[in-house]
Amino acid sequence: MQYIAPHSLDEAYRALEASDARCLAGGQSLMAMMNLGLVAPSRLVSLRNITSLRGIEVSADGGLRIGAMTTHAELAALEVAAAGPALLAAAARVVAYPAVRQWGTIGGSIAHADPSADYPVALVAVEAIVEIGSAAGVRQVPAREFFCGFFETVLREREIVTAIHVPPGPKHGGAVYQKLSLVAGDFAIVAVAAIAGPRVSLAVGGYGPIPLLVSGIATTDDALLSAGHALANATVPPGDHRASSAYRRRVLPELMRRAGRAAADQRPG
Amino acid sequence: MKLHSVLTINDEAREVLAPGAASLLDVLRDSLALTGTKRGCNHGVCGACTVLLDGRVARSCLTLAADVGARAVTTIEGVAGVDAYSRVQRALIDAGAIQCGFCTPGFVLAITDLLTRNPHPGSEAIREALSGQLCRCSGYIKIVQAVEHLAGGTHE
Repeated sequence: MQYIAPHSLDEAYRALEASDARCLAGGQSLMAMMNLGLVAPSRLVSLRNITSLRGIEVSADGGLRIGAMTTHAELAALEVAAAGPALLAAAARVVAYPAVRQWGTIGGSIAHADPSADYPVALVAVEAIVEIGSAAGVRQVPAREFFCGFFETVLREREIVTAIHVPPGPKHGGAVYQKLSLVAGDFAIVAVAAIAGPRVSLAVGGYGPIPLLVSGIATTDDALLSAGHALANATVPPGDHRASSAYRRRVLPELMRRAGRAAADQRPG
Repeated sequence: MKLHSVLTINDEAREVLAPGAASLLDVLRDSLALTGTKRGCNHGVCGACTVLLDGRVARSCLTLAADVGARAVTTIEGVAGVDAYSRVQRALIDAGAIQCGFCTPGFVLAITDLLTRNPHPGSEAIREALSGQLCRCSGYIKIVQAVEHLAGGTHE
């Protein structure tokens, strides 16, 4: 296996032209896959020397542009008022455990697209935009379309996730990320990302190949619960070693109620 | 294809010749015979392979050796030196926080990182900091007590 660590995106795009080349970001998913023998790239293109992929910019409206190589720890340390960025920071705080948060990156995590991971569900809830670069230029894809299947994204060969744009979310909004897992640091059994303005938007993760989004729910317990029951009745979530399909359906409405309620309660007045 | 690199390990420059896909854990144990760092699950779950990279806790199994670059690596062999114990190691011994010992090097490094950043962590912060370290003898209580002792006691 060949290892290349370019200093610019243009060099990285060229390095990815080799067959079976892959990007190495923080390595916290890819190295595990390599150690387990699930992937064996012929060339790894490390992105760690590309400074343009680092850093978080806060825009005038309170939204963020997050460089793809921003670590979970950097996002977890964000103290932001706007609901959208606050939701993402809350999700970053419960990604795995300290060592993974220290070195794992948001770009690497979403390119890996584990259906039980924390960012996909948070990014769908906040209606984030994923910025994707290639030698041909830049394209922007809504998070909802970026994740398109089990560990699948719309990324094409020789494309790199370069940044994530997070809108500020509703004015005086509330944001809550709740994760049900067997032990601290594990992937979610079910995760709910809630963002509340006058109405509540909820994204649900760990519940299928891609995050599900339910919008426009009233902020009452009844409305949240019935939205949860409607979603549970309309879906057949996966069963795995963490929980059965029936268990996921059983807990979903109450998890949606709690997250939606908590987000709504954060709003002033 | 073998890759030649120079890594800074426990304040020493070490020349390494290893397969391109080798993890830092592979290099530590197999190339440099620094076997204090343990190979448990080899996919980032157990924390037995924990080292410090530039002083911050890292999974050596999830770190590509070639990608370490200029970052300084600290392993369990580097925390105190031969025949000496760091105050973290001493606290674990004094608290009886060691059973089979397989997870201990990882715990020592995770605790060292925690106390460097936060000399007086509360009970929750201690548990959070150690959440990525598994002890299959399930001796967590004594380990947490050892850290609580360090967090509340006088610091050198």
